[in-house]
Amino acid sequence: MLALPDHLVIVPILLPLVTGAFLLLFDERRRTLKATVSMAATLALAVIAFILLSLADMEDAAPGARASVYLLGNWPAPFGIVLVLDRLSALMLVMTSLLAVASLVFALARWHKGGPHFHTLFQFLLMGLNGAFLTGDLFNLFVFFEVLLAASYGLLLHGSGALRVRTGLHYIAINLAASFLFLIGVSLIYGMSGTLNMADLAVRIAAVPPHDRALLEAGIAILGIAFLVKAGMWPLCFWLPGAYAAAAAPVAAIFAVLSKVGVYAILRLSPLVLGAGAGASSGLADTWLLIGGIATIAFGAIGVLASQAMGRLAAFSVLVSSGTLLTAVGLADIAVTAGALFYMVSSTLTIGALFLLVELVERAQDPAANVLAVTMEAYGDGDEEEIEEEVGVAIPGTLAMLGVCFGLLGILLAGLPPLSGFIGKFALLSAVVGTGDEGSLSMITWAFLTLVILSGLFATIAMMRAGIRIFWAPVEGVVPRVLLLEFIPVAFLLLLCAAMTVQAGPLMRYADATARSLHAPAAYIGGVLSAQPVPPPEGNR
Amino acid sequence: MELTLAIGIGVLVGSGVWLLQRPRTYQVIIGLSLIGYGVNLFIFSMGKLRMNAPPILKSGEAVNPADYTDPIPQALVLTAIVIGFATTALFLVVLLVSRGLTGSDHVDGRES
Amino acid sequence: MQGSASLLWLIVLPFATSLAAIAMRANARNAEAWLAGLMSLGLLVLTASRYPSVAAGGVLRHEIAWVPELGLNLTLRLDGFAWMFAMLITGIGFLVVLYTRYYMSPDDPVARFYAFFLAFMGSMLGVVTAGNLIQLVIFWELTSIFSFLLIGYWYHNAAARDGARMALTMTGVGGLSLLAGVLLIGHAVGSYDLDAVLASGDLLREHGLYLPILLLVLLGAFTKSAQFPFHFWLPNAMAAPTPVSAFLHSATMVKAGVFLMARLWPVLAGTEEWFWIVGFAGMATLLLGACFAIFQQDIKGLLAYSTISHLGLITLLLSLGSPLGAVAAIFHMMNHATFKASLFMAAGIIDHEAGTRDMRRLGGLFSFMPITATLAMVASAAMAGVPLLNGFLSKEMFFAEAIETHADSILDTAAPYVAVLASAFAVTYSIRFIHGVFFGSKPEELPHEPHEPPFFMRLPVLLLVMICLVVGVAPGRTVGPYLHSAVVSVLGSDTPPYSLAVWHGVTLPLLMSVIALAAGALLYVFLRSYLSASEEGPPYIRLLKGQRIFERVMVSVSWRWARLAESWLGTRRLQPQLRLLIVVALLAAVLALLREDFQPGVMRIGGADLAFSGLWALGIVCAIGAAYQAKFHRLVAVLLMSGAGLITCITFVWLSAPDLALTQLAVEVVTTVLILLGLRWLPKRIEEAAAPLSTAATVRRYRDLAMAVASGIGMTIIAYAVMTRQPPQTIADYFLQNAYAEGGGRNVVNVILVDFRGFDTFGEITVLGIVALTVFSLLRRFRPAPDNVDSPEQQLQQAAVDDPEARPDAGSIASDYLLVPSVIMQWLFPAIIVFAAYLFLRGHDLPGGGFVAGIAMASAFILQYMAAGTRWVEERLRVLPVNWMGFGLLIAAATGMGSWLFGYPFLTSHAQYVELPLIGAVPAATALFFDLGVFSLVMGATVLMLIALAHQSIRKLRAAKATAPAEMDAT
Repeated sequence: MLALPDHLVIVPILLPLVTGAFLLLFDERRRTLKATVSMAATLALAVIAFILLSLADMEDAAPGARASVYLLGNWPAPFGIVLVLDRLSALMLVMTSLLAVASLVFALARWHKGGPHFHTLFQFLLMGLNGAFLTGDLFNLFVFFEVLLAASYGLLLHGSGALRVRTGLHYIAINLAASFLFLIGVSLIYGMSGTLNMADLAVRIAAVPPHDRALLEAGIAILGIAFLVKAGMWPLCFWLPGAYAAAAAPVAAIFAVLSKVGVYAILRLSPLVLGAGAGASSGLADTWLLIGGIATIAFGAIGVLASQAMGRLAAFSVLVSSGTLLTAVGLADIAVTAGALFYMVSSTLTIGALFLLVELVERAQDPAANVLAVTMEAYGDGDEEEIEEEVGVAIPGTLAMLGVCFGLLGILLAGLPPLSGFIGKFALLSAVVGTGDEGSLSMITWAFLTLVILSGLFATIAMMRAGIRIFWAPVEGVVPRVLLLEFIPVAFLLLLCAAMTVQAGPLMRYADATARSLHAPAAYIGGVLSAQPVPPPEGNR
Repeated sequence: MELTLAIGIGVLVGSGVWLLQRPRTYQVIIGLSLIGYGVNLFIFSMGKLRMNAPPILKSGEAVNPADYTDPIPQALVLTAIVIGFATTALFLVVLLVSRGLTGSDHVDGRES
Repeated sequence: MQGSASLLWLIVLPFATSLAAIAMRANARNAEAWLAGLMSLGLLVLTASRYPSVAAGGVLRHEIAWVPELGLNLTLRLDGFAWMFAMLITGIGFLVVLYTRYYMSPDDPVARFYAFFLAFMGSMLGVVTAGNLIQLVIFWELTSIFSFLLIGYWYHNAAARDGARMALTMTGVGGLSLLAGVLLIGHAVGSYDLDAVLASGDLLREHGLYLPILLLVLLGAFTKSAQFPFHFWLPNAMAAPTPVSAFLHSATMVKAGVFLMARLWPVLAGTEEWFWIVGFAGMATLLLGACFAIFQQDIKGLLAYSTISHLGLITLLLSLGSPLGAVAAIFHMMNHATFKASLFMAAGIIDHEAGTRDMRRLGGLFSFMPITATLAMVASAAMAGVPLLNGFLSKEMFFAEAIETHADSILDTAAPYVAVLASAFAVTYSIRFIHGVFFGSKPEELPHEPHEPPFFMRLPVLLLVMICLVVGVAPGRTVGPYLHSAVVSVLGSDTPPYSLAVWHGVTLPLLMSVIALAAGALLYVFLRSYLSASEEGPPYIRLLKGQRIFERVMVSVSWRWARLAESWLGTRRLQPQLRLLIVVALLAAVLALLREDFQPGVMRIGGADLAFSGLWALGIVCAIGAAYQAKFHRLVAVLLMSGAGLITCITFVWLSAPDLALTQLAVEVVTTVLILLGLRWLPKRIEEAAAPLSTAATVRRYRDLAMAVASGIGMTIIAYAVMTRQPPQTIADYFLQNAYAEGGGRNVVNVILVDFRGFDTFGEITVLGIVALTVFSLLRRFRPAPDNVDSPEQQLQQAAVDDPEARPDAGSIASDYLLVPSVIMQWLFPAIIVFAAYLFLRGHDLPGGGFVAGIAMASAFILQYMAAGTRWVEERLRVLPVNWMGFGLLIAAATGMGSWLFGYPFLTSHAQYVELPLIGAVPAATALFFDLGVFSLVMGATVLMLIALAHQSIRKLRAAKATAPAEMDAT
């Protein structure tokens, strides 16, 4: 018998689903109700995520316990679909829910009126993300990828407008192609290994006969490409800046997590399936991840430097972050992975906040045009619902507040001390330098060190340029009309980064434990394959 | 027979890939659908092919897996078909809207 | 112990106060001044009170755990050297605050100023008291950031903005490279702790990474201390308010670089590389700075260059690697801080009272402000190295070191001459400053009549000049012990014997001083007339301005080149992206295949089947045809495409997968209908008479064709290879064995869908729902392109032959049009519903199921649309598809969660059969309810999409008026 708490693992998937479906039953006009329900659900999700985090952190190295492996339909692994909760997935859940809360609050100020069913789509996106983070089954991962992608299509196009549709078309086309690759990869893996369960695959892969191995590895490689498209590795990342920059601010903010899904999948599968236990296939991807990751950092950094629209700057920072993480995964070292995890959380929150701030700041440039644009995009032709006056007070000294936030974000983004951006970079770099043997460093290490530091410098220059343009421009720019509701989420995310700085010690401990369990997947595999279904009560079955 | 199917898959995917690189949105959507067929068949072909094997379990006696086709790829294909259908519909609408907003049916929204 | 804990206050208090300061009213100048003044005074006292514990080479340490995992702890460490700097920072800081109160105009928003100022002071104290190199880097970067804010304090004028930007860029580069260097040090030493690093000097100097470490650290130090060739940011930073210059550019910020060099002197110095790099930079800076200083017209510019030159002097001393050199360097650090700060303040007073800093316009101010003039004279005498002033002492030491031979080389032999020359220049620009400002012809057309500043504005200058005098007269008894403790804490055991006496007898250094003084005076007399008229900067060299070069480089590197690189490395068009994706995927597959030895099929089963081959011949024709026709003949293309789809269905049947065939068929129908509905909105494209393609285009086409063929062949090979292999032991057998017993169904595929892998189905229908919603909301704002607004030709023709009144309005169809079929279709409606229900119920055992049923249901509606027209259906369509979707998902979820009540995981199914009339035994597995949810959602979603698309045809009127914006968007 499972008690209710045992079902907690699946709640992060079901809660958004039910919420989204429930909201469908109500008419578009009942916005307050929709907003309230959606907000409440998202907050609850955040709470649950934290509970799961503590659960995952408690049971160290023995995830055989029910809390961490959930057999859907009560079918034993590897036959049924399993949900697996470990430190990594818990971390991703928490990160997602925090960002979700922020961007939803932001959306409540204005954007959720930008078109129908915003909240439903938002909830479904969360469902897809959480599912992708929790599932332990390759094909189920595909399904959740599709869920989150479909929702992201909807959200990206939210508010319509020529630019969004154009970039959205690119985004969709490329992701559809990538989905085909995903399918080909998964089915090939099934055809060669006879399983879809990740843990089971990790067990079977070593035993695959050499003449089958080639095909299996081809499948894995193709699957990897699908992930890399999502993660935005150069040269598969050109769709990303346009799409992210075109999306509405809150959508773009939550998209900051989206690109991390690809990274997550690779971070999960590379040590698990291609780890030391994979026989001839071990370390299949590492070299390519290193090369691609480094190229991605370079491209992203250049893009950051080259973009004058703030939105594109933020979008390119996403690439920098992805590239850094991919390289870190490619290095396949515990300490590096730990640093990368810290860096990931920090950079994701930062970029999310930046996407939110960009919209507020760019209002300062020319509010008239801005409002016009918003109404044009959000309210199409006249007969749609009318724009009603926002309630709430425009905060005093708006520009000053925005300026402070902007400065802090610049510091975070560039990885300048003392905020979490610096700690993340430092943790990463010190680990990377540590991998080198005494007396010399490998080429890769040098390249990585240089690029990470250069990307920081570029970010500094770009942010400084933009900041001077926006806040120090000689003509007093008109003070933007910013609702408190829009300012709070930015401040919230900044506070989180500050908290990460202060609590860096415990967080690094957690990241370290996560990295260890990732690189020693025996516990994960054992936990999944040994999980027992609930015995049927005598009588039926 | 395997060869026939394999070639069929190849041709479907190939012509799809050709269309994918064309400049017109309509060509792209046809290409995506063609690739879709190819991929579905590909997934299907991951199980062992058998002609006139009973698709449905006979009631009663114990089951010998060797008599049946591998049901998993079929299940996967079913899911893939549905998702493919959904995404095709979406892409169709997006290309219509894009055509409406930009006035062009070029994939980049402008003739080049 | 209490003593060490108080170090924490040294860091925390300034930042805390800075927060308090920003909270105040913008123009609360007195309150701010009191706050800042008291704070810095308190810090001064606090620092001074710590002297006993650092006096005899003692060290105060205070450690707080922060991120022990990374060896990153908050370690505060105060030794003699750090103490000396802390004294300078707090002491001069206090005087500057006092000075600022009178310097800043009443309507300046000083709250911001004091906040940044205090924060800067805090970061500076953090740098000097850092006991951990990473911590040092942290505060180092903070000084850069806050100096940026201080320099840009008057951001409304462009000079301040540019100066600030340049300062931050340069020091930012330095800081980052310092970080890299420190990381390498940490790797080499195994710890970032300062004591640990200081203890492992030999290790570092022998280490393989010594050179990179040295270069990176020095880059940091040089940029901070404005050493050649990174000196040019300092003069531009003079756009800052004078108090900022007095604090940052004399005593603190620029000293951080030399501080770092001195701090790491024991571990890094003494090697060839150190000697050459540091020595060259120091010497060049010393000479150039002094030379440029002579030719400045702006007082602050003169002082800035002289600062550069003095920093060069210190660097040069450190480069020698001799303990005595280090002593001289440390001594000069404090001397320079005192006299330069006072000079900057004096310059500020002049600017404040006379309204200009241009020496061409100034002159003869002595009579207006005698006291200030006297003070300035003494200070600049110290700067020139006149005896009985502190500047003289350290310069003597410098000369003494210069004539020593350290490493036999050009640098070494050049040293004495350079030294004399540079100090001659120093004399010149000092005289120039005094003479040009205070003597000579009275100034005309000054903004306002100059006069003495208020007493408290002059007091700081006075105090500092006093120090210069006292130290200069009686060094041994005044600074002696403090200097000694500083020296000891840097040099430790190998502290050399040195004397601070004013008079060493007639020595070579003394002689050199005399020469320098004389030569400098002569040089001024010689240059005077030229200088009084010349423009800013030294002759000829002024033409190449460091600043302009920097700006140029910045613009081209960080803007033009970056944009170029971005457009070169990336693309914004779709086709290249898809092409790349395909290429990369192909490469990945091929590489993986080549990695292992790959040989295709081993097992042969089932020979060629003629009918099957024939079938596929047809399929191939369809596929290629569709690909060929897609551009010009859309209708043909879509028909051929569905032909290929049909072949796929048949293949599924052929290979005994009826479920797939059924589903594929249903989907096929709906997709085709959707595309047909969409065709109407696409632009007409008439096949132009085959225009000859340009060669480039032809090449591109062949490339695309090649890629298409390659990927096709790739898929063929892989598929064939897989099919002709002995399949592995799969998890399928489990399903086959348990489908009936456990899953309660005979149709294994369906059981998998709704039970074994029901979660997939769950996700899948969610996708369908999401897409339907997206489609709906997109089409709500649909604006057709201008050329699609009016009805298609067919409809127009139809309308032409119809009699008008038979055709009520758009969207419905003429009454006599398709009369019979429409009647039949309306009759069909219920029949189809029954059929759908049947499909639904038998799903668990026979091909069918919720999905197919849902599609069938939806197709019933499609028929109605085709038969009766949009308007007719929408009038009668009473159900709300969106609600169906919502209910569907909720039912499915509820079914899944139902099993919780019995203590089973989500989606655990329970099966039994129930007898239904007519249909017979129906498997009533709980999965059936799940399937019901699927059914409801699929129907809802499909109908929603169809309605949304079909509905467009009656939106034309509105669309017509919406075309104007549409065109706007198009452009």
